[in-house]
Amino acid sequence: MKGILAYIRRKLSVRVSLWVVMFAAIIFIAALSFLFYQSREAVRQEAISRATQILNNTSLRVEGILNRVEVASDMTVWLVRRHPDEADSMFVYSRAMLQNNPDFYNCSVAFEPYFFKEQGRYFSAYSKHDGDSIRTIQGGSDSYQYFFMDWYLMPILLDKPCWTEPYMDLDVKTNTSEMVTSYCQAIKIASEQTGLKDKEEQGKVIGVINTSLSLNWLSQTISAVKPYPNSFSIMIGRGGTYFVHPDTTKITRETIFTATLEQPDTALTALGHAMQRGEEGMMHTNVNGEECYVFYKPLGKTGCSMAIVCPESDIFGGFDRLRRAVMAIVVVGLLLMLFFFMRIITRELKPLRRLAKEAETIASGQFDAQLPDFQRTDEIGQLSHSFAGMQQSLVKYIDELKNTTAQKASIERDLHIASAIQMGMLPKNFPTRADRDDVVLYASLTPAKDVGGDLFDFYIRDEKLFFCIGDVSGKGIPASLVMAVTRSIFRTVSARESMPDHIVANMNEIIADMNESNMFVTLFVGVLDLPTGRLRYSNAGHDAPLLVGSGVGTLVCDSNIPVGVMPSWKFTLQEAQIFTGTTIFLYTDGLTEAEDATHAQFRMERVNDVAIQALAHQQQEPRQLIGLMTDVVHQFVGDAEQSDDLTMMAIQYIRQVSDVKYTKSIVLPNDTKEVPQLAAFVDEVCKVVGFSPSITMQMNLAIEEAVVNVMKYAYPPGTRGDVTVEAKSNDVRLKFTIIDSGMPFDPTVKADADTTLSAEERPIGGLGIHLVRQIMDSVNYERMDNLNVLTLRKKIVK
Amino acid sequence: MKTTIQEQDGNMVAILEGRLDTAASPETEKAMSPLYGCEGQDIIIDCTDLEYISSSGLRIFLGILKSAKAKGGHVYIKGISDDIRAVFAMTGFINLFEFK
Repeated sequence: MKGILAYIRRKLSVRVSLWVVMFAAIIFIAALSFLFYQSREAVRQEAISRATQILNNTSLRVEGILNRVEVASDMTVWLVRRHPDEADSMFVYSRAMLQNNPDFYNCSVAFEPYFFKEQGRYFSAYSKHDGDSIRTIQGGSDSYQYFFMDWYLMPILLDKPCWTEPYMDLDVKTNTSEMVTSYCQAIKIASEQTGLKDKEEQGKVIGVINTSLSLNWLSQTISAVKPYPNSFSIMIGRGGTYFVHPDTTKITRETIFTATLEQPDTALTALGHAMQRGEEGMMHTNVNGEECYVFYKPLGKTGCSMAIVCPESDIFGGFDRLRRAVMAIVVVGLLLMLFFFMRIITRELKPLRRLAKEAETIASGQFDAQLPDFQRTDEIGQLSHSFAGMQQSLVKYIDELKNTTAQKASIERDLHIASAIQMGMLPKNFPTRADRDDVVLYASLTPAKDVGGDLFDFYIRDEKLFFCIGDVSGKGIPASLVMAVTRSIFRTVSARESMPDHIVANMNEIIADMNESNMFVTLFVGVLDLPTGRLRYSNAGHDAPLLVGSGVGTLVCDSNIPVGVMPSWKFTLQEAQIFTGTTIFLYTDGLTEAEDATHAQFRMERVNDVAIQALAHQQQEPRQLIGLMTDVVHQFVGDAEQSDDLTMMAIQYIRQVSDVKYTKSIVLPNDTKEVPQLAAFVDEVCKVVGFSPSITMQMNLAIEEAVVNVMKYAYPPGTRGDVTVEAKSNDVRLKFTIIDSGMPFDPTVKADADTTLSAEERPIGGLGIHLVRQIMDSVNYERMDNLNVLTLRKKIVK
Repeated sequence: MKTTIQEQDGNMVAILEGRLDTAASPETEKAMSPLYGCEGQDIIIDCTDLEYISSSGLRIFLGILKSAKAKGGHVYIKGISDDIRAVFAMTGFINLFEFK
């Protein structure tokens, strides 16, 4: 069953054929049902009218016979009354009756006992057919005292002629008996005759004329009428007794009700009663196990009722045969229709199947497969043409797609390389506690695309941490190019400039000057003086960093415009003291504006919360803080696509101020002749610290070069000034601080000497600061309170 | 600081003794002026007893070297101590001079 259903579902031809045949069948069934119903009704009506007509005819015939009997009887009575004296005449009358009416069974003219004195007690002129002749005898005898018979007594008692119930007439001569019904009429003395004799004699009954009809003959007459081959007639008497029935054994022995005694049959009982009442009509009932229509009608004055029983199978026999033939033709026709439809549709769809096969071939990747040309103009032809068109377009598009994909792959490769280059630009070696005892730093940059417009950078020069974080307007390749340029400009500018506002201003000039595409950069530049924890910064429109230390707060920032917008903008410088343990947390708007799937933003409040949480768990260490922030942001964003570049940088100042073990200072005038005093001072300090002679000589060299620089350049030529040299040491370091009140002069921004040049190319000067850098671990310049403060440090190695 | 100039086997020899610091360099430069005037001879600077040298001293060395090279002469440095050689190394002078 499942197989068949699957087959039907797969085969369009079968499905369409089934639908068509199904609809045809429904229409046929509806039309034929109507037709059959109407035809059946017509046949039924026809049968009823036919049967009724036949019944009427038969009834008329029977009544005609009965009437004839009555008329003949009347005639004979008239004759007998005319001549009541002549007994022999009675035989003539009786015989004439049969002669004139051969279909009568017998005739008796019977008289009262001793009516004819000479004839004795009995006289009955009895005539009966005996073969072709008529036998006439005197019927009364001691063994047959007729005047006690029903037929003799009934007309006298009722005082009118009447028909008897059927009874058995016994022929003594031939010893045969016959069921007969008789018309009996009393013979009374005529009035004119009575006038002659005695008045009391008037109206006196002298005899009875009995005229019989054979029931068998009557039955044959009635039964001869057959509207249908298997129809039959019945006749019942007043009591319901069968007088006429195809089953002769039932005649007079059974009544119409006999069958209902064994099996109650209300329809048959009703029929019997209706017939007994002398009604006329039609009834549908079951006779002898067969559905039949029964038409019934009373028979004149006899009190009998006759019925024609027509089996339904006879009435509708022809109709049923016709119906079966039509049904057979329809079923065969529908099956043929199904078969031919399936064949025709299958044939018509054949090109479609081929097309489907070719389409599969094309789908498998063979775009050059040749499509069949059906030369048809119908829908299938159109489909074939469209398909061919689609194939051509497909080939074209696939080619284009291949090219595009190749180009895209090439662009992606380039982008990938660009991404690697960009990431390579960012510093990767973050100072940790193992590296430094004054600052630890960590940063992360996650571009939304392959390349991004965020940047951060940092490096340590002369005991100063230079750092910046920025966000180029826009995203992708244009932003990344500006980012790369910005980062290198930061490096270049900050190499010669220590003040953040100057760095930002210089960067702004350069970027604004070359800014053809109106890109701009929000930038935060900071310089953290590592020995003192002093932070100088300038914020060009960037998000203000958080300070995570004893609490969480925002670093106060002036509102400057972003870099690249307007040349010659005056960027402000701000300062703050960073205490040991405090972390500066810098970020781009990719953090606060990180979006989840519903486009809700992460917001500053959450950043603050995470920072507070980190502080509560002592996790303000840069790597931990950024790790925690990253986790929370990822959790917030979920599966949503990263909407913007995300950059974070955390800087923790961790310098612990060690106890100063030793302090010594010297004040010298700005005269190089004082160098030997300086040498003596340095020698003494190095001796206390415990430096070897070699290191001591190098210390001498570095301090001399630094101090001589001040002596020569800090004060205008010819003016006097002092140089203070202060030496401080703890267990770890020796620190020399060289202070003067001359004009601002930062020796650290001087370009370092190129030691690879040949003798001819080398300039005479520029060696001093180079030597200082070579020898000392750190060189740090600060301008404080109108003083130049140069700090030189050397780790103590014993 | 003591500076002695001699002629020895046709070469000019400068013997430097003591500390050549910024304070001493003007005097030393003056003392070594004959070396600027030599015509093509090789110059030998004897640093055996040189204790210390600052950038001002190195500048004198560089000046002598430039002058000698311009006339096709060579400048040799002799008897240099390790500490002073380290200073020469820091400044890249170690590549400019020839050592004996």
